[in-house]
Amino acid sequence: MPEFKGRPGSAGQRPTGGDKAVVSQKKQYFRRKKICRFCVEKMDDINYKDVKTLHAFVAERGKIVPRRISGVCAPHQRRLTDAIKKARNIALLPFASQG
Amino acid sequence: MRTYEELFIVKPDAPEEEVDQFVEQLRTQLTTGGATVDKVEKWGKRRLAYRVDKYREGAYVLLEFTAASEVVKELERRLRVADLVIKFLTVRVDHTRKRLEKRKKQRDKRAAKRAASAPPPSAAVPGAPGAVHAGEAPAMPGQPKES
Repeated sequence: MPEFKGRPGSAGQRPTGGDKAVVSQKKQYFRRKKICRFCVEKMDDINYKDVKTLHAFVAERGKIVPRRISGVCAPHQRRLTDAIKKARNIALLPFASQG
Repeated sequence: MRTYEELFIVKPDAPEEEVDQFVEQLRTQLTTGGATVDKVEKWGKRRLAYRVDKYREGAYVLLEFTAASEVVKELERRLRVADLVIKFLTVRVDHTRKRLEKRKKQRDKRAAKRAASAPPPSAAVPGAPGAVHAGEAPAMPGQPKES
C-alpha cells in the first residue's frame, strides 16, 4: 500500500488512526488512539432526553466517565456533561446508584 | 419570545383523564399568556432513576412551547403547586437549535465541497510510486488543502 507511506499526519483516511500510537523500543506497548464517538458519528446534538446514548458515558455507579477514558473530545464532553446533569435532574439518570 | 421545553413527571397512580385534563389546563394557561404550544408528548410510565417523593416510577410529559419569560415563571409556579406533578425541568432550546442548524449547514457545505473535489485525485492515485509524494495532498480528503 504505497499510498499510506506518506507523512504520519496523513493517516486521516483511517478512522481508527494509529497516528498517535506509541511503540517504544524498550517497552513494547501499543496505545490505541481513542476517538470521539460524537465526532465520528457526526452527532452534534447531545440531548438530555436521549438516555440510551448518555448511558454509555456514565459508569456503573452513575458517575460521568472522564474523557481520558472515554476518548470524547473536549467540546463534546462539555455538552455531554451538561446533558447528563440535566437528565439526572429529571430522574432519567441516577445521581448515584446503590451497589 | 423564546422556545422552551418543559419535561415533567406525573404521579404514576394518577388516572389518565386527570393527566389529560391537567395538560389541557396548562395549554390554555400558556395560550392565554400569549404563548404557542408546539408539541405535547406523553412518554408513558417509566422507571425513575431514583426515588422521588416515595415513587419509583412516573409518567413523563413533554411540552414544547414558544413564550416570553414571564409565562414560563407562571407555568413553573403552577407545576410546583400541582399535586399531580412530582418533578419538572425547563430547558430553553432555541439557542441550541440555532447552533445545531448552523453546524448542519456547515457540514452540508463541506460535504458538497468534498464531493466536488474528490473524484479527480482518486483517479490520479494509481500512478508510479515516485509520484505518490507529489500527489499526496489532493489524495487525502482529511487535509485542509484550501489553506
